[in-house]
Amino acid sequence: MVPMAVIGIESSAHTLGIGIVQNGRIMANQRSMYKITDKGIIPSKVADFHADNVRDTLEGALKHAQITIKDIEAVGYTKGPGIGSCLQVGQLAAKALASRYRLPLLPVNHGVAHIEVVRSMYKLKDPLALYVSGGNSQILARIGNPYRHYHIYGETFDIGVGNMLDSFARSANMNPAWGSSVAKAALGGKYVQMPYTVKGMDFTFTGLLTNATEQLQRHSLKDVSFSLQETAFAMLCEATERALLLTGRREMVLCGGVAQSERLREMLALVAKDHKTTFKVAPNEFNADNGAMIAVVAEQMFRKGISVKASECTTNQKYRIDQAEVV
Amino acid sequence: MKIKRISEGAEARIYSCNFLGFDSVIKRRIKKRYRLATIDEDIRVHRTKNEARILALVSSLGISSPGLLMVGKYDIYMHMINGTRLSEMLGSKTNLNRVFAQLGRYAAMLHNNNIVHGDYTPANVMVGKNGDVCLIDFGLSEMTNSMEERALDLLLMKRSVAGELFEGFLQGYRKECRDGGRVIERLGGIEKRGRYNTRSLITR
Repeated sequence: MVPMAVIGIESSAHTLGIGIVQNGRIMANQRSMYKITDKGIIPSKVADFHADNVRDTLEGALKHAQITIKDIEAVGYTKGPGIGSCLQVGQLAAKALASRYRLPLLPVNHGVAHIEVVRSMYKLKDPLALYVSGGNSQILARIGNPYRHYHIYGETFDIGVGNMLDSFARSANMNPAWGSSVAKAALGGKYVQMPYTVKGMDFTFTGLLTNATEQLQRHSLKDVSFSLQETAFAMLCEATERALLLTGRREMVLCGGVAQSERLREMLALVAKDHKTTFKVAPNEFNADNGAMIAVVAEQMFRKGISVKASECTTNQKYRIDQAEVV
Repeated sequence: MKIKRISEGAEARIYSCNFLGFDSVIKRRIKKRYRLATIDEDIRVHRTKNEARILALVSSLGISSPGLLMVGKYDIYMHMINGTRLSEMLGSKTNLNRVFAQLGRYAAMLHNNNIVHGDYTPANVMVGKNGDVCLIDFGLSEMTNSMEERALDLLLMKRSVAGELFEGFLQGYRKECRDGGRVIERLGGIEKRGRYNTRSLITR
């Protein structure tokens, strides 16, 4: 008999992702991505895009996993944090699916899913995580008993590192995409001095962003991009190293959209090596927003026998990661 | 001179030694290979110089802190402080109200003199046998009159201790600090930005 599968629907921002997981194995990870123009994300348009594509993406995922809807035994969706209108489309799709086929519905925290997908993929126990994306930059680890959740040891005091890199890219007339255009522009650059702000395990990025934008008038794009990237990533690494020593964890995870950056991976791997710590990053398709990570967490919850009341299957734009219980 | 490593932090190694007959510690900032050599050098030199300068200033204000002995390019020699880290006493039954009131007053004295600590947490406070409080690790301190930075000092402390202890801390702070009201107002403002409401080391 084919083992039953769990489906996950992610729609917190411009990516609509549907993933299927069977016993922790990722069978499908289908995505439709709203194309970001220079205007950024327009919430209502993205929501329309998701609504138009959810059916095809779902069918694509089922086809890829070579199963039918009858093999699904639970549905997970992103409860938050994210853009309200986008979250609602995912939640509605999940609700529709669940009620049509009488399946349990499981709300998942987006940030938890980002970490858990790596943890499950590499069978890690209790890693320290650096979660870096557009809106979030946090250093986390699981604590608490019996109520277990991800505690935030350090985080950005203002904007996420991804948004910082993208804002800079926009002001330099580059295409914003989790800092990849900044990374490209940075190749072969030379260092110009920039403000470096770490407060214990927390950090701020707006001052750095303003400074970098100003320096564009005096220095080449190459040098400024290089310095911006080196400074921002060094700040993240320093804060993470401090958290690593404080928590004494032996495993470390890098996740979220900005985890796609080769340079950040390289730097954090060195931090881990210096402290003889296991270091894991997932393949890129699981760092960007995706449905598989939602399915992974939903399956964990389902196997633990957690059932969520229909009245609690809502969306929450500001669903903080430490408000979500983890199994 | 014989030196012995006693602990390793994220950015520095701490050694103990006997400096001209005094029990002393050396804080040596170590090279970090993950960051660009230029950034690394800048940070280590700047932070060492900055820390030494502030350490000297803090002692002169009458705030109990490790006395400065000598400064190198990457290392600071200072008097050894005997006692227990406050972070290690948080779970115990010791009454810490007096300690936190004193910490509040110390924070106010720093802020009155345009110094922010930058990492004002119980891990950076030593408590002696008779309950006297000593601030250590001015590695992230700065000279600034920024309200935001001051409020962040309070926020770091708030996040790492139980509510009633922080109340005592705030009382001590309010009494001593010239701009106390405005700083506390700013603290509320930072928390309202939405990210920090649930952040506390106290677990449910």
